[in-house]
Amino acid sequence: MMDALDKELLKAVSGLEQIPKGAYNIRKNGKLLTRNVSANIDIESLEGSRGIRVIIKPGTKNESVHIPVILTEAGLYDVVFNEFIVGDDCDVTIVAGCGIHCGSSESEGHEGVHQFNVGKNSRMKYVEKHYATGDGTGKRILNPTTKVFLEEGARAEMELAQIGGVDDTKRVNEAELEANSMLLITEHVLTERDQQAVSSNTIMLNGAGSRANMVSRSVIKGSSRQIFNALMEARAKCFGHIECDAIIMDNGINETVPALKALHPDAELTHEASIGKIADEQLLKLMCLGMSYDDAVNTIIQGFLK
Amino acid sequence: MLDLHNLSFMSDGRQIINDLSFTFQKGKFYAITGPNGSGKTTLSKLIMGIHKATTGNIVFAGKDITNYTVTERAKAGIAYAFQHPARFKGLTLRDLLNIALGKDHKADMRDIVEKIGICSFEFLDKPVDSKLSGGEIKKIEMATTIALNPKIVIYDEPDTGIDLWTIDPMVNLLKKEQTEKGTTTIVISHNRTFLEAADTVILIKSGKIAYQGDTRGALPLLSDLSICNQNCKVHENDGCFR
Repeated sequence: MMDALDKELLKAVSGLEQIPKGAYNIRKNGKLLTRNVSANIDIESLEGSRGIRVIIKPGTKNESVHIPVILTEAGLYDVVFNEFIVGDDCDVTIVAGCGIHCGSSESEGHEGVHQFNVGKNSRMKYVEKHYATGDGTGKRILNPTTKVFLEEGARAEMELAQIGGVDDTKRVNEAELEANSMLLITEHVLTERDQQAVSSNTIMLNGAGSRANMVSRSVIKGSSRQIFNALMEARAKCFGHIECDAIIMDNGINETVPALKALHPDAELTHEASIGKIADEQLLKLMCLGMSYDDAVNTIIQGFLK
Repeated sequence: MLDLHNLSFMSDGRQIINDLSFTFQKGKFYAITGPNGSGKTTLSKLIMGIHKATTGNIVFAGKDITNYTVTERAKAGIAYAFQHPARFKGLTLRDLLNIALGKDHKADMRDIVEKIGICSFEFLDKPVDSKLSGGEIKKIEMATTIALNPKIVIYDEPDTGIDLWTIDPMVNLLKKEQTEKGTTTIVISHNRTFLEAADTVILIKSGKIAYQGDTRGALPLLSDLSICNQNCKVHENDGCFR
């Protein structure tokens, strides 16, 4: 059974007001809460309740699977390994996320490894949102890892967001791309107070004609700190781009290190990076439209992280 | 409508606007021109509240707005279109129009987009970012300004980055807004098409009004090098490239 708090967390991380239709697996405090499979999407438990395997049949189109995690138990540090096997010629959406409610002095955390194998010519959209709340003094810790393997002609679009309240996070994203595959990763992270976030990304462009674009948007408020590392390595004639922008507010600290490595003479790799405060001209434009200074700041940040 | 009383502005010890007074009449079309660095943009930013006057005061619709913030002036009905509009990562034209039109508006954004000559409605959901061309960003700036439905509007060099074929339709649009809605319109421009469209041309030189009157009277001054305030110190025989 889900209580009001569970529903609130579920809505924050997956946009769900109620149990979704189709395939889903909802995990609460380290255990399975509820699960449903569909004709084309099977979900099985891995040994020892350490995670799940989601198997999507070849040719599955316009279906989605939700796998949110809820943590409300004081002192629990949940570790999970989930595997996704997307068959050839699919077009699917996978919605994941973790919501933590910390109501005590004990820390709570979730460490999830999501490993994807996307079959030939398949399209996968992956949405992952992390959110923490509660008036407890314990730390809210989230350490997500994604490992993506794109087979020939596969395409993955990954939206990764940490939307607030997480005290400590170590994010890892790794991807390998075969011929003519395509990857778009957008990562949006907001930190405030004395929170810390480290994002480490490695993208290997192995196949000819592969393309990757990594977009990172960071907002660093209060005295928080963010470190963003991204390595894009080209091993064939391919195209890769890293775009990382950080807005620093108050006394935040940011370190952004995009790195490009071309091991093939026809590789095309580019990057752009910027760190700075909100530009005055942006604030003035919105104020000229009648917004207050505070509303203008908020609107710019929301747009930046959208 | 808008009275500037003995307005002065100093920056880094330089007098940019020097004891300038002028009254803008309701519903009229004004063109402000003058050499580079004469104080045109500074004057317009003083009116919008982006710069604070060192001395003098500004009265709008009978109220002293000298100490109003930018937001308060915008809410009072003053609008400003920037010469170099801001670009945003993430915000779209639709977002900006929603802000300009206000809550619960029922305006059809497609009408505004069509009005400013953007042919594709897909533009509404494109980020207003650095991928846009100079002409596109200026059209967006104009769209968001028109959407405010202001009482008085200042366009700072609206033709920057705009192709020759768009200047005339742009002038016609601003004239239409002026005549149909009674919008007091001030355009800062070096372009004769705007000067010829104006009821009054104001020529600024060294932070002061050097001329105010009709376009015909202003035209001889546009080729008068003594108006230039660059004060080039070149050798007698070298001359100025102008």
